[in-house]
Amino acid sequence: MNAEPSQPTSRREFLTENAMGVGMVAMATMLSKERALAVPPTVRLAPEKFDLASKDTHSAPRARAMISLFQHGGPAHMDLMDPKPELSRLNGKTYEGDIGFSFIKRATKKLRGTAWRFRKHGQCGTEISELLPELAAIIDDVCVVRSMHTGHNGHEVSIRYMNNGIAGVTGRPSLGSWLTYGLGSETENLPAYLVLTDPGGHPVDSTHNWSNGWMPSMFQGTVLRPKEPRILNLDAPENLRGSVQESNLAFLNRLNRRHLEKHAGEHDLEARIATYELAARMQIAAREALNLSQETRATQELYGLHRDETREYGTRCLIARRLVERGVRFVQLFHAGQPWDNHNSILTSLPGICRRTDLPSAGLVRDLKQRGMLDEVLVHWGGEIGRLPVIEGDVKSGGRDHNGQGFSMWLAGGGVKGGMTYGATDEVGHRAVENIVRPTDYQATVLHLFGIDHKKLRFLHNGQQQQLVANGARVVQEVLA
Amino acid sequence: MSVPPRTLLAVLLLPSVAISEELSFEKHIRPIFRAHCYDCHGATEKVEGQLDLRLVRLLKQGGESGPAIVPGNPDDSYLIQRVRSGEMPPGEHRVPDDQVEQLIRWIALGAKTSRPEPESIGSGLGISEEERAYWFFQPIRRTDPPAVTATGRVRTPVDAFLLAQMQPQQLTFAPDADRHALIRRAYLDLLGLPPTPQQVQAFINDSDPAAWPDLIDQLLDSPHYGERWGRHWLDVAGYADSEGNGERDDVRPWAWKYRDWVIQAFNRDMPFDQFITWQLAGDELVTPPHKNMSPDHIDRLTATGFLRMASDSTQHANNEENRNRVVTDTIKIISSSLLGMSVGCAQCHDHRYDPVSQEDYYRLRAIFEPALNWRKWKPPSGRQVSLYTDKDIAKAAAVEQEASVKAKHREAKQKEYLDEALQKELSRHDETLRKPLEEAYRTAADKRTPEQKSLLAKFPSVASFSPGVLYQYNQKHADELKKLDQEIAAVRAKKPPHEYLRVLAEPNPDVIGAQFFYRGDYRQPQHDVWPGGLSIASAEPYDIPQNDETRTTTGRRLAWAQWLTGGQHPMTARVLVNRFWRHHFGQTFVSTPDEFGKLGTLPTHPELLDWLAGEFMANGWSLKQLHRLIMTSTVYMQQSSRHEAGNSVDGSNSLYWHFPVHRLDAEVLRDSVLSLSGRLDNKQFGPAAGISADDSGQIVVNGDKQQRSIYLQVRRTQPVAMLSSFDAPVMTTNCAKRSSSTVATQSLMLMNSDFILKSSRSFAERLNREAAGKLPENLTNGRFIKAPVSEPAKQQRWQYGYGYVDEEGIAGESVSQVHFTPYPHFSSNTWKGGEKVPDENLGYSFLNASGGHPEGKTTRPIRRWRAPRSGTIRIHGAVSRPSKNGDGVRLIVHSSRLGVQAECVVPTGEKKYSAEFWVERADLIDTLVDERENKTSDSFGNGFTIEMLDSDGLVAHTWKSEQEFGGPVSETKPYELKSPLVDQIAWGWLMTTSRFPTPNELDAGIEFVEVQLGLLDAGGNQVTVLQAMTNYCQALISSNQFLYVE
Repeated sequence: MNAEPSQPTSRREFLTENAMGVGMVAMATMLSKERALAVPPTVRLAPEKFDLASKDTHSAPRARAMISLFQHGGPAHMDLMDPKPELSRLNGKTYEGDIGFSFIKRATKKLRGTAWRFRKHGQCGTEISELLPELAAIIDDVCVVRSMHTGHNGHEVSIRYMNNGIAGVTGRPSLGSWLTYGLGSETENLPAYLVLTDPGGHPVDSTHNWSNGWMPSMFQGTVLRPKEPRILNLDAPENLRGSVQESNLAFLNRLNRRHLEKHAGEHDLEARIATYELAARMQIAAREALNLSQETRATQELYGLHRDETREYGTRCLIARRLVERGVRFVQLFHAGQPWDNHNSILTSLPGICRRTDLPSAGLVRDLKQRGMLDEVLVHWGGEIGRLPVIEGDVKSGGRDHNGQGFSMWLAGGGVKGGMTYGATDEVGHRAVENIVRPTDYQATVLHLFGIDHKKLRFLHNGQQQQLVANGARVVQEVLA
Repeated sequence: MSVPPRTLLAVLLLPSVAISEELSFEKHIRPIFRAHCYDCHGATEKVEGQLDLRLVRLLKQGGESGPAIVPGNPDDSYLIQRVRSGEMPPGEHRVPDDQVEQLIRWIALGAKTSRPEPESIGSGLGISEEERAYWFFQPIRRTDPPAVTATGRVRTPVDAFLLAQMQPQQLTFAPDADRHALIRRAYLDLLGLPPTPQQVQAFINDSDPAAWPDLIDQLLDSPHYGERWGRHWLDVAGYADSEGNGERDDVRPWAWKYRDWVIQAFNRDMPFDQFITWQLAGDELVTPPHKNMSPDHIDRLTATGFLRMASDSTQHANNEENRNRVVTDTIKIISSSLLGMSVGCAQCHDHRYDPVSQEDYYRLRAIFEPALNWRKWKPPSGRQVSLYTDKDIAKAAAVEQEASVKAKHREAKQKEYLDEALQKELSRHDETLRKPLEEAYRTAADKRTPEQKSLLAKFPSVASFSPGVLYQYNQKHADELKKLDQEIAAVRAKKPPHEYLRVLAEPNPDVIGAQFFYRGDYRQPQHDVWPGGLSIASAEPYDIPQNDETRTTTGRRLAWAQWLTGGQHPMTARVLVNRFWRHHFGQTFVSTPDEFGKLGTLPTHPELLDWLAGEFMANGWSLKQLHRLIMTSTVYMQQSSRHEAGNSVDGSNSLYWHFPVHRLDAEVLRDSVLSLSGRLDNKQFGPAAGISADDSGQIVVNGDKQQRSIYLQVRRTQPVAMLSSFDAPVMTTNCAKRSSSTVATQSLMLMNSDFILKSSRSFAERLNREAAGKLPENLTNGRFIKAPVSEPAKQQRWQYGYGYVDEEGIAGESVSQVHFTPYPHFSSNTWKGGEKVPDENLGYSFLNASGGHPEGKTTRPIRRWRAPRSGTIRIHGAVSRPSKNGDGVRLIVHSSRLGVQAECVVPTGEKKYSAEFWVERADLIDTLVDERENKTSDSFGNGFTIEMLDSDGLVAHTWKSEQEFGGPVSETKPYELKSPLVDQIAWGWLMTTSRFPTPNELDAGIEFVEVQLGLLDAGGNQVTVLQAMTNYCQALISSNQFLYVE
């Protein structure tokens, strides 16, 4: 087992040959420092080695971790955070411009002003709807982007644009995959990229939302289930825990190391050894991270854990904070289906989903701030599209149809300027017209906050240099603190 | 760090355009325009801004805004200005910088064409010479195998092609693998199951040089071959047993008929041209009506199940959108499986990279339009073909006749018995009432007079008199009727089962074209398009007749199938062979098996791919023949280990200088584990095996014995966890290439899943049964387990008995002792002295789930719990005493290591108690209740929870006294050691790796089992030795030596 290595000609070879003697993690760290951040060799001849060790960045990072509260379905921006007095004035009038509808049968061109009141809040005076009182209360820490634009009305098309960089295309790595690929992880005990799904089920477009595409599967989002067992197969039967399992894993490791000796250089075999080590550490770390009883009552109430309608979402927001606190790089929360897709009964369905999410989302920002973490944790709140200014169906029972031409989202922390709004839609809220931000611009900006140049973050796939952000993206400098 | 020589090589191999190369419109510029511009400036009849970019002279001529280019002057070229400014193309797409550079350079160099441009140009993009020159669209060319120097390693022409590409890199094949490796490789590859030790030994001991080809033949003849290779095909066919209609995801009851057909077709080596033709047009090869069908007729129809694999929501939502989605998905399955190209994007616009026009897409669709006519759609239930023959119908009628005779007999009997019983019932009532009661009863409910109704209401026993209560009057009669029912059911069961096929057919087809949908939108149909092959697939347009008058069907699909398999088509054979190669090696020539076009990768070995495709067709499209050819080649027979020289030149092994190590497919992994554990049910064919969600929501397979994975029900929304986590496809449409992931969730599955734990145990039990005397003596001799193998006497987690705390101990310094005797008797869910309470010895002393009763100073009830391992435990519960008389009861929590840990006196009502303390493995924790001074009405309740805490103080496990209460655990049989443990360890190694362990490896196994025996406390009636061996087996099946083919 400890045979003398013949004169190693490079450090990589030396390390590979001595893999038996060096801990996987240590080796991974040493190798990764050699490899400049995420700029793989142009042509891959030697087997590429991937790891989750922490990487150097292109520039000084502002953000260390990100929590994305994804709001599936298309939140009605003109009812939430993009006030449109002109739309209210024109209420009931026919819209003269062009509109692309998704549901033609129920489409009308009758404009619909918001049914809710907007007021100025905070020192910044940003106007927020009465539906989101908690967002209004933290508005000085928040940057509202009012000029999002995908150009596509479909959910899946735009979701993929937001999460994977190209409209409508599946099979590409998600934003979380790119971040963990480019930056590595800060924890060896938890997956770098975690997804918190809703007890009601998967979101629209399901597991594509956290796909690693053509990247190695270590960059895929790991699902933390909404109920016990939070991670499947996490624990051994009680009589096999502790020292018994340690003995089992030690023996397995012995078998695998011996096997690897015969197959030096087979990276998948090494990677599998590492996954056993991670699995064992996860057993302890995940349980601890999920134990919310360690949180004070005050903290729990910040997230609304004391109230029935906010408890579920609040619990997941609180878990998200605990995860980034423990070094997880990217956490994304999803809803079941698409609760913001208010085609029908918008007068009741929209307030309903606001009540479930407003306090927990704001609570997360408050909690990060009080812990001094908001500076380095970026919070994103938003969906894939917005909604149309016209009525879909009838006034009472109807709602609003899809709108990829213009919509809003908000960001907080992680180097984003608080207390500001950016961009604007037209006077009725249909199209983004001022300082348009496309999903790729948003992604380039996120990468920038993490110290990554979106033009340099590349992955070689099938002989082609792939990027999260294709050409033409722009870092939105104006929102940077 | 010095720069290794390979970096230099890397630069030389860069596939970019060399600066010196002449740029031409056709080769370099047109692909850029195709990708970004032609949608508006070339593909359509009317071009935007009157600017047509299809010819250079049209570029120079320009459109509304003047000339698009000024040759020699890129800066003055309008096209460049528009592209640079981001105005063109509109929307968020941008021309990548390197392509803009190329445009600029081309204009700067004079905007050259490679040949004179045509005088006139029709509509559409057409296909340029350069596009046609792309390798995949060229005819398959079978060149002679090249001459190589390492002739000693050339077993087949395959080897020559591979060596020819290795030689320039100074590489050659690795030495031949040993027979252990070969047999394991072959079994896993062809059958998807590991060889048994007997099969291994037979092969090792066979000195005949033909042993290897013989083994391959033998495996190809196995009925399990089709279960492995059929699965590969089901991936690309998108096989599922459910409709994929959203959340409902209804079960497709007869899909398995197609699955079975595929397995059988592989088993009998159906020539692949026929295999394809039947699947595309089996219905066109038989004569309707589809009744009283011959087995061959049934086979051909079953094959068309291939065209019914797409998700289909039209059973419950039969709208035009859903119908068109079925058609679109079906075409995707067909094109990715047989054409190796995503023609799907041409549904909405001309393909941006490959010369596939939107017109082409609808030509393809037109082939299927009469059979998949979305205007005259039948939902799934309306298109099944019944397998009932006239003979079956007659047989069923005869059976029904027989049954009805019996039924009549039964009816008569029932009437007789009921009358008799009714008289019995009436006789219970006053004589004067009997007649009116009987009359009221026998009058139909809606005809009864008000008097009759009120009378019956007074006598419910008459009112509710029915056959169902007959047993209350005469049990014998009731039994007799029941028996007659069973007899009738048994007769009816003789009817032939009614089965169906899911087919695609064209009964009375309309001779229609496909409609060209503007931007792929079915709501915007334009002109009709008639069937034909892809324009790029042949130099001359390949037309398909609209209607073959000699058939009852249009004959379109048959004609197309014949074109695909006629030997001239450039795609199908290449695509198939490329995939077959991948299944053998885990990697292949074109690493994008469903994308051979510009978006895919170039073949690593184009000549070999073509040669194999040609060979495959020349050998009558026989897959088994291809297996023999590949597997008897050196490339397949070589060792799998790497070496430094190879690593440095070709680390990804794209030259095949060693056999590629690759992980078992999900099904092979699961099936192999089942096979080793003896849990595999080898039953072939038939309806899908059941799956269900377990407590945690994971989808698992029902039953202890389980069928091979290919027979498991494939619900699109309920993928079996064990399979999907190891990359089995979750069927949305189909899967042309599985990924092979390596993630922690897989490790957790192998460490902790119920499936693996159960299988490991069965595997261990099997080793005990089978290992004895099978090992060579020189291996096991002198080796033994240095740990006690005898069983500790008492291992139950819970025990129920009586006794007392040694009072001396409580007062003194040393730890007190509990004197404990198990209760001798258990009945009525109570532990006690005997059947009756009070018992002559133990009096009222007893225990049940929720409490008990104390009695006397030495017969106090004790609930005893045994600690499974060391750690902190927290015990908390409540003791209660309902009675208000007397002085109450006292509860004591006692640890055998630490003495009394809690004491709780309850005069009356309920009182809570708790304690937290350290335990070592096998410590005994007792809760004991006494009656204090006064022995009155001392029935008590006691329920508690024990929590074991982990090192972070979190609850790791919980035991609840009430829930876990139970009677005697079946006598713990000492584990009967049928095989020496050392033999078991060695035999398990052989079964999982197909080779004996080396002495070192065997010693490692022995050492592990010894450590385990020391650590384990299996608890309950589980057995330590078995658990230790179970853990050993689990390690074997979780290890890389088992999980990978090498």
